[in-house]
Amino acid sequence: MKIKLTCWDYLSAPKKSIGIASIIIATLAIPIAADDTLEVDGFYENASNVREDRGLSKFRNTVQFEFVKDLGFWGAFSNVTFNSTLRGTYDGVYDLNDDEWGANAGGSIMIEDQVVGAVAHGQGLGSSNINSPYFGAGLPPGHALGFDILNNPNSGMDVLGQYLHVPDGGVTFGVPVRPCNIDPRGCINDYMDKSENELRFSEFNDRLDFIREAYFDANMDLDSGTAFNLKLGKQQIVWGRTDLFRVLDVINPVDFSRNNIYDELEDIRIPVWSAAAEWQFGANDTFEDINFQVVWVFDKFRPNNLGQGGEPNQILDAGSFFRGMKNCWDNGCTVSNFAGGASATDFGPNQIGIRQANLPEWSLKNSQLGFKIEGVYKDVGFSVNALRYRSQLPTLRGGIPATNSFTGQTDTAFPYLIAFDIDFPEVNLLGGSLDFYSDTLNSAFRVEVAYTTGEEFANTLESRLFSESDVVRWVVGIDHNMFIRSINANKAFLLSFQTFGQHILDHETESAPLGIVGMPDWKVNHISTLLIKGWWMNDMLSPQLLMAYDWRAHSGTVAPSVDWLISDSWRVTLTANIKFGDGAKKFSDCRTCNPFTPFTATPIHADNNGDGLPDSYDVGLGGFEPLGRFRAGPIGMANNESEIQLTVRYRF
Amino acid sequence: MKKFNKKLLLTITLCAFSVGVSAASLEDVDNSFYPYKSGFPTNPNIKPGLVINKDNADLAIDVLDPEMLQHIRDGWVEITVGETMDFILNGDYINATKANVGKVTLGSKKGQIDGYVAGRPFPEEPDINDPRAGEKLAWNFQYGYNWGDSAAISPFYWRYRNMNTSKIERQIKFDFHFLNWSHRVNNEPKPEILPNPSNLFRSIYVHVQKPFDVKNTQLLIHRYKNDLKRDNAWLYLGFQRRVRRLATGQVTDSFLGSDLMIEDFEGYNGRISDMNWEYVGTKEMLVPFYNHNEQKLTDEFEESDGYQFVDFHGKGGCFPNVTYQLRKVYILESSPINSNHPISKRRHFVDAQTFTLPRTIIYDRAGKYWKSWMIGQAHPDFHLAQNKGTGVSIDDSFGMMDVQAMHCTTGQFKGIVDPSLSPPKMFKVQHMRIKGK
Repeated sequence: MKIKLTCWDYLSAPKKSIGIASIIIATLAIPIAADDTLEVDGFYENASNVREDRGLSKFRNTVQFEFVKDLGFWGAFSNVTFNSTLRGTYDGVYDLNDDEWGANAGGSIMIEDQVVGAVAHGQGLGSSNINSPYFGAGLPPGHALGFDILNNPNSGMDVLGQYLHVPDGGVTFGVPVRPCNIDPRGCINDYMDKSENELRFSEFNDRLDFIREAYFDANMDLDSGTAFNLKLGKQQIVWGRTDLFRVLDVINPVDFSRNNIYDELEDIRIPVWSAAAEWQFGANDTFEDINFQVVWVFDKFRPNNLGQGGEPNQILDAGSFFRGMKNCWDNGCTVSNFAGGASATDFGPNQIGIRQANLPEWSLKNSQLGFKIEGVYKDVGFSVNALRYRSQLPTLRGGIPATNSFTGQTDTAFPYLIAFDIDFPEVNLLGGSLDFYSDTLNSAFRVEVAYTTGEEFANTLESRLFSESDVVRWVVGIDHNMFIRSINANKAFLLSFQTFGQHILDHETESAPLGIVGMPDWKVNHISTLLIKGWWMNDMLSPQLLMAYDWRAHSGTVAPSVDWLISDSWRVTLTANIKFGDGAKKFSDCRTCNPFTPFTATPIHADNNGDGLPDSYDVGLGGFEPLGRFRAGPIGMANNESEIQLTVRYRF
Repeated sequence: MKKFNKKLLLTITLCAFSVGVSAASLEDVDNSFYPYKSGFPTNPNIKPGLVINKDNADLAIDVLDPEMLQHIRDGWVEITVGETMDFILNGDYINATKANVGKVTLGSKKGQIDGYVAGRPFPEEPDINDPRAGEKLAWNFQYGYNWGDSAAISPFYWRYRNMNTSKIERQIKFDFHFLNWSHRVNNEPKPEILPNPSNLFRSIYVHVQKPFDVKNTQLLIHRYKNDLKRDNAWLYLGFQRRVRRLATGQVTDSFLGSDLMIEDFEGYNGRISDMNWEYVGTKEMLVPFYNHNEQKLTDEFEESDGYQFVDFHGKGGCFPNVTYQLRKVYILESSPINSNHPISKRRHFVDAQTFTLPRTIIYDRAGKYWKSWMIGQAHPDFHLAQNKGTGVSIDDSFGMMDVQAMHCTTGQFKGIVDPSLSPPKMFKVQHMRIKGK
């Protein structure tokens, strides 16, 4: 049977989405004039960022409509409303600065080789024209080193981490940086595979992200005097009491590609199709208020959007790392300072890298279920939260079948081999939050804590290079109002201080002969933020200073900004986002993990299992890439991404 | 030891004094609620229909506060005199006062009150020789009938205005809701909504409808029966989708950029124990009391029931364009106990019949005139049909002028005395999360 195709079938996802968006807006707009039960708000916003050494890094134009339709009574439900937020974005940076972020980004690259200085991508050990003191003369027949440069040309590439650090004797490799429709190398199917249009128009995709929200909200007053509220549809469900940090606020994944960690969570949470049912029991003899909520996320799994290689905003530069690794797996790649810890080495396909992302399919089992009890007891607001969900952050699980670079042996899971699948493990979270006021300190306190099981972390002590750990995360926030009368006689400044802590309870590290091995994430780390905000001109002019500091990464950011509400319609915000501190950090990169024994063994590797071959394990040679990113953290990894940001919004 | 004895002596003296002068009678109750039973105030210079302007301002020298008089002399505003009328409060409130008359005393500490159930706690005339007379007046306001057991202002338009240019810089559309948890006299359950584990007295819930940048901002204030317990306040910020507990300082900051602080709501929105109170005297003065339906109204905001809002006039459009009437007022001064408070003093002109605060002058930390606070009071029988007979003196219009910054905020009310608009569940923190998107 032949399927009849229409014009619709030939349209790309962005075009289809734009079409759907237009129909929805037109449909909703029709009754605006005639029906006062429909509220419509909207704005246009331009956000233009300029980054040090890179030029324009954002020219994002956003149009957003928010609709609330009052539907009155529906059976036993009252105050039924349909709420929708539609958002469309065009980021012109891919057109205005395409040498950096678009179709013409990247170029040919040189990969560090401590023996010869540097080699071009594709000219490392294993290629036909290099003589290396390491292995070069002794490569066994049938080895699989080297790759076809025609499939993986030296163009349209950056060196992993090149904007943050020099290789410094460590591992780097090439990262294709052009949009996936222009250069498909390293694009990970359904995870990090955006075309140029999908980068330009980020909401117009197969998941219809231009529908930011579309949900019904309904209330029911019960005979018992209690009330029931149901929100059903695509929505954001926000747990917790703190700003910036996501300890309990983990129901919705987050889009870090929009502006890394610096946009309001409101704008970067990725809404999910879900139901939130809440029973409001009100006061009783013990509690001043008590409520019980059940959350069911029945949407197909969505991971966080970390940004992909070639995008201006990538948290931890993970998108570049993943894209480079995926290219290594698919096409082979030149890895700096690898063989003997010194020679750039050309790995062939299916030897190292990322094979695929295993995104959970939709199933009842993969849906997410959460419970929350929230109330007030003796003036203290509290919540107890439980959630079973899929980690929105990826795990790199080694132990996948790969090819031995030296023997050509295929389909074997080599221990400690840096060949991975991306997975999203199941996580259980139990947590809670508090807020209270201290009369003594004249300050409001906010506390969140969460204990999770099932999270996975990179770990070079494990043969599959990851391990599971229970984690405790917490945030304490203090809000204090303080007059600085010499600056503003009549209006207090808001001082808001927060500290976030993360404790990896099953953390493992060891001292190996060449360095520390194990889990690159810090066992215990803290990030603190301080916001100082003032208001003048009837709150229409508001300067603020936001600072964040990662105590173990020794990296921070200072973001002074001025927000000027010119009128109810116009708003301008000018921000400088200045990074400082150590920046990149080093950790074992598993070059010396000896997966292909004996070829990759060092003199240090011992034969402890008595099979006559040096064992596979990590002896600790390291560098900035790739695992140092977990030590540098999101602030340190963006150390060279200081920006001036100008946002202009017009409300209509 | 000596110090202790002195303190003890003072306490005993204060207690004895309080008890001694608070033995109010039913006659006091009658006099308090019906101050005009023997006739309305008169003044040879001030007759209904008189327009007081810069040319004849001196006629009103005895019946206007000096600050308002100066504004008239400066040509900032003209005031039209209306007929004085009775604003007789709800009968249940008067009956509750009678039922408890003479049973209420002040405690030894400021903010303590004993024996209070409902109604006006101290209906007797204030005695200038009573060192705690001011505190008693403040209690009469605090436990006044105000909006009754519950009511709503919906919608409530605030406009931020430049007094020099008359430019309207911002317009915010609110809903305000009020609920008395205890000391209720009119609507069931009486006298208290139970369970009330935190012993709340009153709550105010505010929801911003427009404009977009502050849409869905919500404010919740809980005041407790124990006045010595600090109010709790929470703010829901739509753009964060989070409820934040407010620090104390935030209730004395500009609310959403207006010229009001949360503490200014309704004339004074704080604890008795937050202030030192001084009764200054009793006068007959011109204050903005009127029949809403007889005022110059504006049709710039459309309401489906045809309701029209009070209009504004004068310098910068900062003055409610309403008539003022001669009424008996108590002059009451409050000065903050907290030395970090942004003001040094408020001078309230308390309407003796309703114990509302139609007029307040606010002085900055240096003691200089800072803000002029006018709250127009409308008679419930000449307002929305559903307000007729409620016995609520309806807050109907306001102007808060910052005369130092030459900036003002005006308020246009649609006050509705209907308990169904303000159910108890609305005054829970969780309601803010549910109401927010």
